[in-house]
Amino acid sequence: MSNTIKKGRELTFSILKYNPRDPASKPAFVEYTLTETPGMTLFIALNKIRDTLDADLSFDFVCRAGICGSCGMVINGKPLLACRTLTADYPDGKIQIMPMPAFELIKDLSVNTGKWMEAMSKRVESWIHSNEKHDITALEEKIDPDLADETFELDRCIECGLCITSCGTALMRPNFVGPAGLNRVARFQMDPHDKRTDADFYELIGDDDGIFGCMSLLACEDHCPKHLPLQEKIAYMRRKLVAQR
Amino acid sequence: MRSLIEGYLGVTEEGRKSRLPAKLDWWQSATGLFLGLFMWGHMLFVSTILVSKDFMYTVTKMFEGSFIFGDAHSKPILVSITVFIVFVIFIVHAGLALRKFPSNYKQYSIMKTHTAALKHEDTKLWFIQAYTGFAMFFLGSVHLYVIMTSADKIGPYGSADRMVSDWMWPLYILLLLAVELHGSIGLYRLSVKWGWFDGKDAKATRKKLKKAKWAVTVFFLVLGFATLAAYIKIGLEHKANYGERYHPGTSQSLNQTTTYAIQGVLS
Amino acid sequence: MKITYCDALVIGGGLAGLRAAVATQSRGFNTIVLSLVPVKRSHSAAAQGGMQASLGNAKMSQGDNEDVHFMDTVKGSDWGCDQDVARMFVNTAPKAIRELAGWGVPWTRVRKGPHEAVINTELTTIMEDDEAHGLITSRDFGGTKKWRTCYTADATGHTMLFGVANTAMKHEVDIRDRKEVLSLIHENGVCHGAVVRDLITGALEGYVSKGTLIATGGYGRLYQTTTNAVICEGTGQAAALETGVATLGNMEAVQFHPTPIVPSGILLTEGCRGDGGVLRDVDGYRFMPDYEPEKKDLASRDVVSRRMMEHIRNGKGVPSDFGDHLWLDISILGREHIEKNLRDVQEISMQFNGIDPADEGAAGWMPVRPAQHYSMGGIRTKKTGESQTLSGLFSCGEAACWDMHGFNRLGGNSVSETVVAGMIVGNYFADYCDEHELTIDTKAVHDAIQKQADYIDEILARSEGEDIFPIKKRMQKIMDDEVGIFRNGEGLQSAVDELQELLVRSKNAVVKSKTKAGNPELEEAYRVPRMLKLALCVAYGGLLRTESRGAHYREDYLKRDDASWLKRTLTAWPDDNATLPEVSYEELDITKMEIPPAFRGYGAKGMTIEHELSIKRQDEVDAIREKLEAEGKDRYEIQEALMHYELPLNYKEKNERLGVGHE
Ligand SMILES: Cc1cc2nc3c(=O)[nH]c(=O)nc-3n(C[C@H](O)[C@H](O)[C@H](O)COP(=O)(O)OP(=O)(O)OC[C@H]3O[C@@H](n4cnc5c(N)ncnc54)[C@H](O)[C@@H]3O)c2cc1C
Ligand code: HEM
Ligand code: HEM
Ligand code: SF4
Ligand code: F3S
Ligand code: FES
Repeated sequence: MSNTIKKGRELTFSILKYNPRDPASKPAFVEYTLTETPGMTLFIALNKIRDTLDADLSFDFVCRAGICGSCGMVINGKPLLACRTLTADYPDGKIQIMPMPAFELIKDLSVNTGKWMEAMSKRVESWIHSNEKHDITALEEKIDPDLADETFELDRCIECGLCITSCGTALMRPNFVGPAGLNRVARFQMDPHDKRTDADFYELIGDDDGIFGCMSLLACEDHCPKHLPLQEKIAYMRRKLVAQR
Repeated sequence: MRSLIEGYLGVTEEGRKSRLPAKLDWWQSATGLFLGLFMWGHMLFVSTILVSKDFMYTVTKMFEGSFIFGDAHSKPILVSITVFIVFVIFIVHAGLALRKFPSNYKQYSIMKTHTAALKHEDTKLWFIQAYTGFAMFFLGSVHLYVIMTSADKIGPYGSADRMVSDWMWPLYILLLLAVELHGSIGLYRLSVKWGWFDGKDAKATRKKLKKAKWAVTVFFLVLGFATLAAYIKIGLEHKANYGERYHPGTSQSLNQTTTYAIQGVLS
Repeated sequence: MKITYCDALVIGGGLAGLRAAVATQSRGFNTIVLSLVPVKRSHSAAAQGGMQASLGNAKMSQGDNEDVHFMDTVKGSDWGCDQDVARMFVNTAPKAIRELAGWGVPWTRVRKGPHEAVINTELTTIMEDDEAHGLITSRDFGGTKKWRTCYTADATGHTMLFGVANTAMKHEVDIRDRKEVLSLIHENGVCHGAVVRDLITGALEGYVSKGTLIATGGYGRLYQTTTNAVICEGTGQAAALETGVATLGNMEAVQFHPTPIVPSGILLTEGCRGDGGVLRDVDGYRFMPDYEPEKKDLASRDVVSRRMMEHIRNGKGVPSDFGDHLWLDISILGREHIEKNLRDVQEISMQFNGIDPADEGAAGWMPVRPAQHYSMGGIRTKKTGESQTLSGLFSCGEAACWDMHGFNRLGGNSVSETVVAGMIVGNYFADYCDEHELTIDTKAVHDAIQKQADYIDEILARSEGEDIFPIKKRMQKIMDDEVGIFRNGEGLQSAVDELQELLVRSKNAVVKSKTKAGNPELEEAYRVPRMLKLALCVAYGGLLRTESRGAHYREDYLKRDDASWLKRTLTAWPDDNATLPEVSYEELDITKMEIPPAFRGYGAKGMTIEHELSIKRQDEVDAIREKLEAEGKDRYEIQEALMHYELPLNYKEKNERLGVGHE
């Protein structure tokens, strides 16, 4: 194991606690100290805090493997997937954790990314549009292997919301469809199964809440844990849609 | 009827979404690109003073149409017209860019907190761009108005006098900083916004563009300040002769003036 | 009290639940899906390796068909599966994958011309046919004769789940997340919906429906080390169990995966070995061929997991802070292959262990050790997916024991099952909603909700008692230690004893914060007793089953005992205050099997106590086959003569294949 952590270091966590549904609750940073163990991730650390120090601390994890997109948090200012964040990455042992802005706060570190993503998916009609009925007993439609790979690249978005939280535009303007939404449109634009034309996509995102609202801050590109080519695809969609007559 | 429907509903008469947002975005970039590239030319032009007064004079005259009308009958009005056109583009660009500004305090406060917390270079750059853009509303307008209305004064002495004796130098320092930061960031942003140089590896390209962007910023800032220094120097020297026009080949008189000026100061 | 009415209530928004919801909604039934988490975060998203479907497009899968897939599945199950169900499954799987392609799942496609693959550590060049270019390709997976596992790089479950969830959205299925089902509403042996807790507000609500379907996934979190997500706590199965009416099947059948990474337990897909990766020991030696000369590293999961543990017990493990482990070596596949097809694996390994598996030699080896992975057991259903004992309650996916996996499921057969069962069971479920009207006494609904409300109030009212977290931890430790890969009577007995004790203690847990909204400790306090009941079903079922079959491996009963154990374990919990389930058994009928019990083709030979009927049935099968073949009948006719099965819609139609048409 190449984890080079000194055993037994004391870590100080400063975590924002707030329950907006409890009138008595006031937002405040609460401090916890924990002894570091080898290979400790924030998934392990937060669970340890809940198991031993504060049973009332709320946060979301599902896969704890960086696959499901549940655990986006703002850690020392950076939006990250908590389950993939090692405590060893913080040499001074001080870790501040906040819930992601841009999303409805449920409690403490738990935010409602699901709700946001569902609204976004419905808004960009994130499904295949086609009138062709394919017979499922017959051979599948042939798809160029490269095109399939490219579509897959864009389909890898896990709806974690880190890009939304990093994007100043999305924070400033809650109606902005966001980088994940723009990527989603690019994904279906790419997919040969989807018969929508660029004019159809223009109807969905051809305004200042859509593609023309993006100010090219590129924080999305720099914080996406799946390394999606957001910069490239947003530019691509912009070129496509600005060319619409 | 068309505009009434589209204006209120954001939908064209064919029932499609208005194409206007696309056009506005395009025009914002087009005006930005024009201004950005124009400023490269502009900075090279004013910096001709670093070569020599004669050279600066010749180039100025050229812009006034000396190659057609001859040096003596050049027409400064041509410059005024050019400035007017640039002014219009400048205003259009500023108007379009306004769409991107925080539109209330809450938005501003979110953006400011976010920029400080995230420590993300491109986000910071945008903030700088917004700030400098805002500053240029005023700084740029003053400069353009002045140049437009007294284009005839442009020249080695006229410009220098304007800087020193007309107290334009503080404005120019600020404007220079603003426009160089704003312009180079803007051109970088344009490239990534439209994916012009993406090529095979957009991420690698972006890194290179970022380097180029900083190189351009530094280059033009150094050039600009050197130019500014040169004009200030001339302006100081020429203070006593405020209003005098430059005549090529007459640097002799300048030397004399300088001597007088210095003597004046010393005595 | 908030009560919502609908036609079809689907509990669980993983692949199985969502596909079933599409089936009911598209037939015009107002369908609601409930899920603990936003549905796209369901554990289905974690499936990396792939989905089995016998398309036979790629070179190495040519000649594949339903018959071969069926054979692999039955052998894989160690003859524990329901062969009718397995047949239904293999015939529908190709249709399922083709449907998904149309829904936008970007399956990796065949590329014509030569490509390199590592087979048996040898770099081999494979020529793909021109005609196959652009069709769905497949890779090798454990326990299969052909390369049958279709995939999208190594994010198969993710892309499938998004494809199905998007389609559900398109059909306007009403999806509600952060809703937890606490119990089922039932009366006179009929299920009418569920009592649900809103995980944001803490409010209790009733959902009343014509039919209810549970697709809540597996119960891996009964164990300490598991590849499963933290939400895989089996609360769906527990809700069914607590009706006292519905039964659970084969709960002791729990699969352990050979290659989760140490220490986090995060899975490294079987695709690693499928693509040519190998296991190595402390000396860097590739040991699997010594144990399994034929299938080597790719024998079925139960076998590989046990061999690994055996090898570690033989002193060949690599010692570490987290116990002994072995190495998984994929560096031999080359950087390019890894960065394209096993990228998630590379990311996990780099992120969690700081190892780049593409680095050559020992530097790139990843530490692995078997851990809990899949729950073959679940809510026991008929072939239609309906509970055998509680009508109106359906179940599919990992939550169910429809029983196509028996005692061991093959890699890639699970996500495949989820969508196939979603199609088939979803359709029978729609039929049920069609044929039944909603008639329930509102008092029954009210009582059911009140019961849960009282229960929660009671927990919150306790001021003295135990902390719930250590109880849960202890349960998980017991399950790992005594009900794991190797089991024996003594260990199982002690597990059963202590789990009973924990169950009693858990009912006395105290919660520090008294709020109802967003109170994670409260959630633990009501979940853990339910989990303990399931754990008892697993441990007790395992204790009683005195044989070794598939993943259930008894060191004190090493043989598969067809003579006395060719049967399914059924557990029920009729008495709320009991600390043990009621256990009964359901015989498997050899005389109706298409493939009577025999040697699996891997694992040790001569380890079976034969059933007298096995040979008799084999002779019968051989005779029928010989006769029909002589008459020139095709494989479908022969199959029909051996074992008739039914499927709804056009699912029984023949599947077209490249080069052979509908042959
Ligand atoms: C790491 C990993 C890798 C795997 N790789 C493969 C593979 O390559 N190939 C393969 O075939 N199989 C694979 N599997 C197995 C396969 O992924 C699962 O068996 C399958 O996805 C289960 O799907 P499901 O729809 O039944 O349940 P899940 O996807 O687990 O969904 C369960 C749903 O139920 C909801 N739920 C649970 N409890 C409640 C409750 N009380 N109230 C309300 N909602 C509830 C959850 O929110 C969730 O939406 C893998 C499994 C793991 C763990
Ligand atoms: C009143 C003066 C100005 C204001 C208020 C202003 C404002 C802005 C703002 C806010 C942006 C960012 C737009 C976005 O985020 O999409 C921008 C972009 C830009 N500006 Fe300006 N600006 C002004 C003058 C100038 C000048 C003088 C130049 C020339 C150097 C210039 C060049 C650019 C360029 C190249 C861009 C990028 C265009 C784009 O992103 O589409 N601007 N401007
Ligand atoms: C056609 C339009 C323009 C003309 C003809 C013009 C002309 C000039 C001239 C002659 C000078 C020298 C100083 C002086 O005479 O006062 C000058 C300096 C300057 N101008 Fe402009 N200008 C134009 C547009 C702009 C614009 C749009 C900007 C930016 C918003 C700008 C920014 C500056 C700056 C920063 C300086 C100081 C230069 C330095 O220090 O090197 N100018 N301009
Ligand atoms: S685009 Fe990237 S950062 Fe944004 S939601 Fe998807 S995976 Fe997360
Ligand atoms: S950060 Fe936001 S502004 Fe555009 S480039 Fe990304 S969406
Ligand atoms: S818990 Fe799934 S990404 Fe972190």
